[in-house]
Amino acid sequence: MASQRVFQLGLRRAAVPSFSKVQPAGRMVQRRLAATQHFGESEGQQILAKQRLRRPVSPHLTIYRPQITWYASSLNRITGVALSGTLYLFGIAYLAAPTLGWHLETPSLVAAVASWPVFVKVGAKLAVSFPFIFHSLNGVRHLVWDVGLGFKNVTVTQTGWAVVGLSVVGSLYLSLLA
Amino acid sequence: MATTRALARLATRRTAVRPAVFTRSFASVDPISKAAEATVPDPARKAIPKSRTSTVKDPEPAKAAKIKTFHIYRWNPDEPTSKPRMQTYTLDLNKTGPMMLDALIRIKNETDPTLTFRRSCREGICGSCAMNIDGVNTLACLCRIPTDTAKESRIYPLPHMFIVKDLVPDMTLFYKQYRSIKPYLQRATPPPDGREYRQSIAERKKLDGLYECILCACCSTSCPSYWWNQEEYLGPAVLLQSYRWIADSRDEKKAERQDALNNSMSVYRCHTILNCSRTCPKGLNPALAIAEIKKSMSFM
Amino acid sequence: MASIMRPGLLRSACQNPAASQRMLSSFARSGIKRSSPLIHQLRPQFVHPTIPKSTRIAAFHVTQRQQIIPPLPQKIHGTLNDPVPVPNPEPVHGAYHWTFERLVSVGLIPLTIVPFASGSLNPVMDATLCALLVIHSHIGFESCIIDYIPKKRLPISRMVAMWALRIGTVALGVALYSFETNDVGITEAAKRLWQA
Repeated sequence: MASQRVFQLGLRRAAVPSFSKVQPAGRMVQRRLAATQHFGESEGQQILAKQRLRRPVSPHLTIYRPQITWYASSLNRITGVALSGTLYLFGIAYLAAPTLGWHLETPSLVAAVASWPVFVKVGAKLAVSFPFIFHSLNGVRHLVWDVGLGFKNVTVTQTGWAVVGLSVVGSLYLSLLA
Repeated sequence: MATTRALARLATRRTAVRPAVFTRSFASVDPISKAAEATVPDPARKAIPKSRTSTVKDPEPAKAAKIKTFHIYRWNPDEPTSKPRMQTYTLDLNKTGPMMLDALIRIKNETDPTLTFRRSCREGICGSCAMNIDGVNTLACLCRIPTDTAKESRIYPLPHMFIVKDLVPDMTLFYKQYRSIKPYLQRATPPPDGREYRQSIAERKKLDGLYECILCACCSTSCPSYWWNQEEYLGPAVLLQSYRWIADSRDEKKAERQDALNNSMSVYRCHTILNCSRTCPKGLNPALAIAEIKKSMSFM
Repeated sequence: MASIMRPGLLRSACQNPAASQRMLSSFARSGIKRSSPLIHQLRPQFVHPTIPKSTRIAAFHVTQRQQIIPPLPQKIHGTLNDPVPVPNPEPVHGAYHWTFERLVSVGLIPLTIVPFASGSLNPVMDATLCALLVIHSHIGFESCIIDYIPKKRLPISRMVAMWALRIGTVALGVALYSFETNDVGITEAAKRLWQA
C-alpha cells in the first residue's frame, strides 16, 4: 500500500513538473503550508481553557420541537405558579385590607363579582377553572408516574392529551353551566 | 500486486491520451486500472458476455431531482467574534443515502469540507452523531431524511451545550458527571464459589433497558432541567447509568450510591418532563429509571 | 496527505495557495472570508446560483435575543478524568423532602374533591386544605427558585427570593387563618363567588 502510494506520488510529480520544487521521489514528505508550534501539556490546557471561554451555547428552548411532554410540564408549572400566585396575592391583600381600607370579606367580594357583566364573569371563571383543573389532573398524572406507572411513550402522549381535553371540557362546563 | 499494477500504469500512462493528471475524482472508477487488468489477463477468469450482465444506471439528475434543503448550524472557533449562523445546503435525495448522516457526509465530501460533525459507526451503536434534527435530539445515522422535499430540514447541535465547532458539542462535563457515579461494579466480598458473581435470571432481567445505553447524551440535552442546571443536576443519561448499578444485584455499594444522589440537586431536579424517554434513539426509558431511583430512595 | 487524497484541494492549491493555507492550517488567522466562501473556489458546480446569497448564509437570530439569564462562559474544573464533585447526602432536602411533597399532593386530591362533591362544610377539612395548600404552594415556588435562580451564579438573588417566599408563605398562613376564623372559609367563599 505504502509502496504504491510512493509510486503514485512519484508519477504525479513526474507528470506535473511545474507544480513545485522537484523533490526526491522516494521521500514521503507531507507539505504543510502552515507553521506549527509545539506546546507542552499545561500550555495546551491553557489554550483549551481560553477556547472554552469563547464557545457559544447551542440553541435550546427556541428550536426544540413542541411536544406534549415538555409543553404539558411547563403548562403545569405555569398554571401552578399562577394559581399559587393568586392565592399569595389574595392572602397578602387580605392582611393589608384593614389598614388600607379595602373590603375583601366574602360578602363584599360576592357583591362585586355579581355586578360584573356576564361575559366578564365567564371569562374570569375560565381563567380560574382551566388552570385549576389542568394542574389538578396533570398533578394526578405526575403522582402516577412517581409510583412508576405509565412511562411508555404512547401512554405518556395519550394521557397528556387526555388531560388537556378533560381540562378544556371541565373548565367550559364549570364556567358556563355550573 | 500493487507494484505490478503501478508498473502497468506507468506503461499505459505513456501511451494513453489523458489531458490532466488530477481530474480523477475520489469515488469514480479509474479507467486506467481497467486498462491494467486488460493488459495483465488472469487465465483463471473468463469474462461474462455482455448479454448476460445487467447495467445499473445512475438516476437521471434532470428528470426527477428531489432537491431537499438542509439548514445547518455553523460556528467556527477560528472566528470567535462572529455569531453562530445557519447555512443552507441543497442535495438531490436521489443521489444521497437514506439517512441524515449520509446527507451530512455527502455535504462534507462534495460541497463544503469545512462542515464539522462527529460520526463513527453509522449504525447507532457509538452515539457519536447525536444532534438535534428537525427539533428532536437523535442520532443522525438512525434518522431517515424525510422524503417530503417541500419541508426543509434543520440540523442543530445538541441543545444547550457549549459548541466546539459547528455540530460538535463539548461533552466534557457530561463525561465527568458519568465518572462521578462510579460506573463499575463495586464489591468487597469474593464470589462464593471463587469463580464468578452469579445472578438469577430475574436479577439479570432488571438490567434490560439499562445496559443498552450508549451515552449519546440525546436524553440529557433534551431535558429542560438539565438545560438550566447542568452543573449540579446529573441528567437522565447519567441517572439511568446510576440506576443500572443500583439495580445490579452483584453490586454491594447500593446505599453509598443512593447517598451520593440524596440531595436536592442530583436527582430531584427531575420533574418528570419525560422528554428524555420520548427522544431516546435506542428506545430506552431514562424517566422510568429515575422514577425507580426516587422510589427506592423514598420508601426505605 | 490531504493534497493527495483530495485532488480538488490540490488543484485549488495550485491556483490559489492562500486558499489551501486556510484549508490545511488549524490555526488560520481569519478563517474563510464571508465574501468568497471556499465552496466557490473548490466546487463551483455545486453552488446553486438560483438561491440568493442572503438566504444561503443567514445570521442566527436566536442567540442575539436578550436572554434572561444567559449562560456563563464555559469553565471546566479539573481535567477530563476528574469526576464532578459528589455533594454530601442531605436527605432533608432530598428523599424526605420529595416523599413529603408527594404525600401533601396525594392529600390534596380528596380535600379538593370532597367539599365540592358532597356540599358539606367541615371546618376541620377546610383548615387542613388550607394548610396543605400553603405547603404545596411553598414547595412549588421553592422548586421554581431552585430551578431558575442558580445558587452559585446568583447567590444574593437566590437568598432574597427564598426569604421573600418564606415571608410570603407566613403571611399567607396568617391570612388564611384569619380568613378561616373570621370569614366563611375558602371552600364556602369559592362556592359563593362561583354562584355570584
